Amino acid sequence: MNATTEFFQELGTRGHEPLLEKATGTIRFELTNGRRKARWLVKVEKGQVTVSHANARADCVTRSDQALFDQVVRGEENAFAAVLRGAITVEGRPDLLVHFQRLFPGPAQ
Amino acid sequence: MNGGLVQILDGNTFVVSDSRGDIEASLTDPTGLFSFDSRFLSSWILTVNGQRLNPLSVDDLQYFESRFFLVPGTGTVYVDSKLSVIRRRAVGDGFHEELTILNHDEQPADLKIRIDAASDFADLFEVKDALEKKGKYSTRVRNGSLVLGYERGSYKRQTMISASAPAKLDKKGLTFNVHVEPHASWSTDLDVVTAAGAGGTYDRPKYERGERRAQPNMERSLERWLEDAPRLECDWDSLKATYRRSLIDLAALRFAPPVAGGRSLPAAGLPWFMTMFGRDSIFTSLQALPFTPELAATTIKALGDWQGSRVDDFRDEDPGRILHEMRYGELTAFEERPHSPYYGAVDATPLYVVLLDEYERWTGDRQLVRAFEREARAALSWIDDYADLMGNGYISYQRRNEDTGLENQCWKDSWDSISYRDGRIPGFPRATCELQGYAYDAKKRGARLAREVWKDPAFAKELERQAASLKRRFNRDFWVEDGEYFALALDNEGKQVDALTSNNGHLLWSGIVDKSKAKRVAEHLMGPRLFSGWGVRTLAEGEGRYNPIGYHVGTVWPFDSSFVAWGLRRYGFKAEAATIAAGILDAADFFDGRLPEAFGGYERGVTKYPVQYPTACSPQAWSTGAPLLLLRTMLGLEPQGDHLIVDPALAPNVGLLGLLDIPGRWGRVDAFARGHALQEAHRPSRR
Repeated sequence: MNATTEFFQELGTRGHEPLLEKATGTIRFELTNGRRKARWLVKVEKGQVTVSHANARADCVTRSDQALFDQVVRGEENAFAAVLRGAITVEGRPDLLVHFQRLFPGPAQ
Repeated sequence: MNGGLVQILDGNTFVVSDSRGDIEASLTDPTGLFSFDSRFLSSWILTVNGQRLNPLSVDDLQYFESRFFLVPGTGTVYVDSKLSVIRRRAVGDGFHEELTILNHDEQPADLKIRIDAASDFADLFEVKDALEKKGKYSTRVRNGSLVLGYERGSYKRQTMISASAPAKLDKKGLTFNVHVEPHASWSTDLDVVTAAGAGGTYDRPKYERGERRAQPNMERSLERWLEDAPRLECDWDSLKATYRRSLIDLAALRFAPPVAGGRSLPAAGLPWFMTMFGRDSIFTSLQALPFTPELAATTIKALGDWQGSRVDDFRDEDPGRILHEMRYGELTAFEERPHSPYYGAVDATPLYVVLLDEYERWTGDRQLVRAFEREARAALSWIDDYADLMGNGYISYQRRNEDTGLENQCWKDSWDSISYRDGRIPGFPRATCELQGYAYDAKKRGARLAREVWKDPAFAKELERQAASLKRRFNRDFWVEDGEYFALALDNEGKQVDALTSNNGHLLWSGIVDKSKAKRVAEHLMGPRLFSGWGVRTLAEGEGRYNPIGYHVGTVWPFDSSFVAWGLRRYGFKAEAATIAAGILDAADFFDGRLPEAFGGYERGVTKYPVQYPTACSPQAWSTGAPLLLLRTMLGLEPQGDHLIVDPALAPNVGLLGLLDIPGRWGRVDAFARGHALQEAHRPSRR
């Protein structure tokens, strides 16, 4: 299992996430690995989080390489710097991603 | 003729040109069209029949708009031209320029009008530090537009240039071959549009669909801004001018971060610091609270949303820490600079709680205070869990990013700002005194919010216990016995860094000073070593590093003095606060109402006028906010429950002062003051 899958599966078990209490909306993460594509849909309603693979409308869509996203969820890459670089693109509401990026860990100490 | 630079801006998009309207930048020359911390035009040169133009005059119409009156030919004293050229330029998303040529001759004129355009796509940090670029440039003519591009991996920036009149485009610019009849004119609109991936919001080049054409659309918003602010009535004309200047500059300094849903907070300074700064945005929001409380609301939201959530040494980030500075340029994107965002400030976090409480006291907006309870608690926890580097119960700082992080993480952030009396510089960590004051105030105010809004009396009690203990220890450990003032800092061995500084005034503001010591502190602040006659010197005359034109070691900072005045009021020194207000507001008159970041610490009686410290950043937000805070301190405005207390003590040169329609939890009220006599009129008027 890759780091991204682990990250989203674990997130799905949390139910309530205090860091997302001010966020309401849906974020879709589209990850590309060669020809393969993975999709994660995170629905947040005042901190209540549900994670799925559903192909539903999202308020914010981010796209990036799977490998890069693996690094982000391992704390090896900073998500916002990657957005500025264009390595992660964002469509829709960037405020949702600002809230969400708090969940990414820092570099290993 | 080309000495003065002209600046116009809209948010973090701005144009710096010469007085002809031309841009001729080099890596080290700060002219150009900038947006999201990148330069999008480094050349923009107008010629008519191969000749550069000669400026007759420049109208700075608004902060977002200017107009250049030009004639062909340069280098001659006497100008007798049959042509005049007008460039009217407004910043929008990029900029929009109306170029008009008037033929005053009785003969028709055939003209070759040329604009040379290019971009180096320099990062703002590169403009300052002259670094080499690592990406690739491109230039294309496509669909009637000249497209300048820069690419480094996935990082892409573009500038698109187009004209409304028929033009010949090549890779270096636009040419118009025009025929102008006698006493007739010719004109074209020029659009320069930027495309960047800032915050992910502008990923697609939207201009391809004609969506985002630069246009001057801010005028009405400025009018509304001025109408919404309280009105000032007084018999001191220069104060009226300063007040109006402050409001207009504050409007120009508004910055809407891509995540704030179109709402604005005060950026730090124009044009190089048009971004979110924790410390500057908070201090300015505090100064402006009685005038434009919505700035504080956006500051609380945006800084709260970006609050640190992990330990990251490169960014000096910790959970609960409030950011220092956010940048969007190439060096930040490639992590050659840590500003994504950078967290290397230790005062912003306690000040965040101070702002939240002060905001509630003025506006009664408990919804926001409830919404940001988690962030406020995290900020309070950060003080104890992450900021006490020496384990002695005091906030101190030492950067973890040794390469590109900030050494001094307090407001006096230059390398020599923290020194002993004899001029020696202490090691790290450093616990500067004002940080302890802010921490004390944050705990006290956090306790009030916990009790009244979050309904957590146990937490309130604990915070009050911590605050009392901090105050007791602080008054013992920082008090310099032989000087009777508070030391600037404790060094890495816990010893006093014993220079006398303006920081003492911030301690009064925060309330951490024992009543028994306040009188001596006030005497120092108003004494000849610190008070120059205009304001309070950052470092006292006679200290080892004192220099009247040293950045943080002797100059007077209007923002600093305004908080000193607030501190003096807090401890009942009304006349002293009024004296500082008078000095700073007198100084403002010498700068046409626009106070600089700092001016020389020379004795007022000696120089007769305030000597400006040379700086590239004007207006600066917290200097712009200083007159506002000084108005508050002169009128003695203080919210108490649902009322606004007015307890004025005016400067000797003010006979009459009225501030009408002060917004707050009371609706709108007026405050009046007359001479030295303490008078007040208090009329609730909802509108």
